[in-house]
Amino acid sequence: MTKECLRIMISTGHLGTAPSAPESFHRGMESGPDYLVADGGSSDPGPVYLGEDICMGHFAEEEVELFLTASRRRGVPLIIGSAGDTGSNSRVRLFVDMVRRIAEQHRLPRFKVGYFYSEVDPDYLHRKLRSGQRFAGLGGFPDLTAEEIDRATRIVAVAGVHPFVRLLDMGCDVIVGGRCGDICFTAAPCIRAGFPEALAYHMGKMIECASLVAEPFMGKETVIGEITREDIRIVPYHPDQRCTVASAAGHSMYERENPFYEHGLGGMLDMRDCRYEQATDRVCRITGARWVPAAQLRVKIEGARKVGERCMGVVGIRDPFVVRNVDRAIEWCRSSVAKRFGAVPYELYFHVFGRDAVLKELEPVKNASPHELGIVVEGVAPTGELAEKITDFAVRMFFLARIPGVKGTAGAAATTKKTMRSSPGYMWNVNHTVPIDDPMELFPLHTTEAGV
Amino acid sequence: MATRKLSELAGTIRSKNAGVNQITFDIIFNDRETYERVKRSRVFDPQRIAARFGIPPERISDCVEFDPANAIKFTIYRTRPSGSPGDWDILGCQQYGPLLDLEVPWD
Repeated sequence: MTKECLRIMISTGHLGTAPSAPESFHRGMESGPDYLVADGGSSDPGPVYLGEDICMGHFAEEEVELFLTASRRRGVPLIIGSAGDTGSNSRVRLFVDMVRRIAEQHRLPRFKVGYFYSEVDPDYLHRKLRSGQRFAGLGGFPDLTAEEIDRATRIVAVAGVHPFVRLLDMGCDVIVGGRCGDICFTAAPCIRAGFPEALAYHMGKMIECASLVAEPFMGKETVIGEITREDIRIVPYHPDQRCTVASAAGHSMYERENPFYEHGLGGMLDMRDCRYEQATDRVCRITGARWVPAAQLRVKIEGARKVGERCMGVVGIRDPFVVRNVDRAIEWCRSSVAKRFGAVPYELYFHVFGRDAVLKELEPVKNASPHELGIVVEGVAPTGELAEKITDFAVRMFFLARIPGVKGTAGAAATTKKTMRSSPGYMWNVNHTVPIDDPMELFPLHTTEAGV
Repeated sequence: MATRKLSELAGTIRSKNAGVNQITFDIIFNDRETYERVKRSRVFDPQRIAARFGIPPERISDCVEFDPANAIKFTIYRTRPSGSPGDWDILGCQQYGPLLDLEVPWD
C-alpha cells in the first residue's frame, strides 16, 4: 500500500557550519519522520573551497554523528546533499569515511551506504565543445570557452533528484551526495514514493534552510515537511516557532533572482499560482506549484580558477586630515607599488572600513565624516613570497604616505601585527549549463557498507 | 510631500546572493495595505533603484512585485563574482543597508 503522506525532516541549511540544536532535533525524530535530510553545501562561501578542495565547516563530524546515530536507531534513511560544502569527489570520500568511522565507534548494526560523484572531467567538456555544443552562461556570465575550462582547478556538476532516487532504489540506508541542487535531496524520496513532482520540488525549496522558513528568525532548528497528493505542510519543531503564510511565502523567494521560477536538472518549478494558507496556528499549507519538464536536459556546472596567493594587512587612520585625504594616501600606495612591482602581475585592493568597504561602488553615502578609518589592504600575486612583499610594501607606504599639509611627521597610519597570509585568491569562472542526454551521465553511483 | 522611511514600513529588508554573480534584495511588508501603498509610490522602479545605488539600470537583472509574500524583490549583477579578490561581502548579505533610509512618498 502506498503512503498517504511522507514526512521529511531537516535541521540545518548547511551541514557543518554550526551544530543543529539538539532539543528540536530529538523532538522531530521522536515524531517518526520517513527521511532525515541535510544540505551539506553551497556556492555561497565563495570559490576558495572548491578551488582548494577544502571544507569550510568545523562541525561536520559532530552533526553527522548526531544524524547518523539518531536515524540508524529508528531505521530512518539519511540523505546528505553536496557533501563537504562543495560536493567534490574528495569531500564525498571524506564524508563516506566519516560515516564508516562513526558507525564503528557507536557499534551501529550494519547498513548500506550509497554515494555519487559530481566532478566533471575537463576532457568531457572539451569534446562537447568541439562537437559544436554551446555552454550558456548563467547570471550574466558569457558562454564558456575552452580556455576557461582549462583555467578552472576543479569543476563540479549540480545533480538533480536522479542519483538519489537510484540509490534509494538500490536499498541504501545512508546517502552521501556530491554536488546537487538544494531542493533535490528532499524531492527525491517524495517523487520516488509517487507524490506529484511539483509539490515534491516545492517542498524541497521550502525546507532547504530548515527553520529559516518559520518565524521568529532562528537557525539550525528542526522543521518537518509533509507531502500528500494535494498539498505540502511545513511544521516547525522549535516550540516558539511558527510557519506562517508570511514566513513561508517570504522564504520561497529567498536567495533566488526571481520568486516565480526555479530551474533544475530536468525542468522548471513554476510557483506563479502557489497558494499559502494557515493550516493551524503554527503550520502553513501550500498548494499550486507546477512542474514543467525541460525539452532539453541542461546540467549546471560550477568551477573556480586560481588568481594567486594572497596576503592582507590592516592599517588605522586617526589624523582627521589624513582621513579626509585618504584617497590621496591610497593613490600614493598604489603608485609606489606600481613603480616597484610593475613588472609582475598582481592585484591590490584597499577596503576602507568607515567609508565604503562593504558596498564599494554601490555605497550611496559619499560625504561620511568618520573620526577614524580602518583599511584592509589585500594583495594577490603569483607566489606567497611576492604577495607578502607587495602587501607589506603597500601597508608601509600608507605609513610613509606623502600628503602635503599633514601635521604629523612620524607616520600617516597606525599599523600593528605582521602582514597576514590569507587563503589563495580564487574566482568563480564556470557558472554555466551543459546540454546532456541522460540526467545520470555525470554522476557515477557507488555503494559500500558501514557498521558492525 | 510627506514621506516615510522604508525601515518604518517594511517588516523585512534583506539582501543575499542569488547565484554567484547576482545579489537579490527582498523588501517584505507585514500587511497588504502598506505593501500596496509602497507599490503605488513607484519608489522601486528599476530607474529609481539604479539611482539609489548609483549604478546603470542595466545592472538590475530583475524587479518584481510578489503578492503572496507582500514583497518587492529586485536583483542586481555584481561587477565580479562573489568571493573574488576585492569582494568584502561574499554572501551579499549587507548590501541592503542603503534601503533603510529610503524615503517613500506618503501622502
